[in-house]
Amino acid sequence: MSPKESPEVCKDDHTRTRMIILGPGATISQSELTQNLHMMELPLTIKSTCYGAMVYGDQEYVDQAVEKARKLDPYNIFTKDRGFPPGDPRRCRGHRGAAREGYHQLEKEFKLLGFVGEALKNPQKVEIEKPEKVSVDDFRKIAEKSYSKSKSSDKSSKILDEG
Amino acid sequence: MKVAIFPPNSLILADLIERRGHKALVLQNEIRKKVKDPEIDSPPFNLTEEDPIKGLKYAAIEVPSGVRGRMSIFGPLIEEAEAAIIMDEAPFGFGCIGCARTNELCVFYLRKRGIPTLELKYPKTKDETTELVNKINTFLDSLEENNG
Repeated sequence: MSPKESPEVCKDDHTRTRMIILGPGATISQSELTQNLHMMELPLTIKSTCYGAMVYGDQEYVDQAVEKARKLDPYNIFTKDRGFPPGDPRRCRGHRGAAREGYHQLEKEFKLLGFVGEALKNPQKVEIEKPEKVSVDDFRKIAEKSYSKSKSSDKSSKILDEG
Repeated sequence: MKVAIFPPNSLILADLIERRGHKALVLQNEIRKKVKDPEIDSPPFNLTEEDPIKGLKYAAIEVPSGVRGRMSIFGPLIEEAEAAIIMDEAPFGFGCIGCARTNELCVFYLRKRGIPTLELKYPKTKDETTELVNKINTFLDSLEENNG
């Protein structure tokens, strides 16, 4: 923690918790990330975690830290807000005895982070197609097709029953 | 621009939006207000009796109080949104959004708002993920152009 200001001084309304998540292709480790965050000398609480790090403090400083952290490996560092402060006994797995609730979603999304990083590295231009409503004529054709299909299947099942 | 996302706690969506200079309206910021409010008696049971009443704006009285309580948190985010990105078939069962009816109601309200909306499917493969990222970036850039 930096000597400038302790996080307790920050007003509750302005505090933020940010999770900094390292993608699978990240060129830095969790400890290097934490070290870099400490080197910024911002008045933040910094916690090293299995997925990267967590920073807590005044929003202004948290934003600064996140911006600088992203520059370390722009395509493989991802960030997300967190509601609870780090080490909160209501969420900390050390107290709960199991993974915290949000961890499972993070685990799912982590599997895609490598692909997301690659896509960010090689951007391509795509066109977004607007979904169109099905026209009445098309809908009628679909309905008639499915009706005739169900009729023919009824007939064949009848033949099977009789046979 | 303020962009609502669905699932409202998605890491991928929130991160991509912030990379393009927009503000992602994420659920965690609303939850923070709840968990850090000293007036709430017994956290983590931090749903007060006022919340289901607030939720009445979005869901009828017959709707379970859990849906109304959740809508009291999601509702203001939806109202604040200037654009939206909806990711269908996301692994909803995890975290604090494991309520299918609330999810349906949220998507319904987002569509009803009439704001620019991008609807995608949760990717499973590399190609799908690349397409998703490119579509999101194109959509976010088009928002900037429209906004001047």
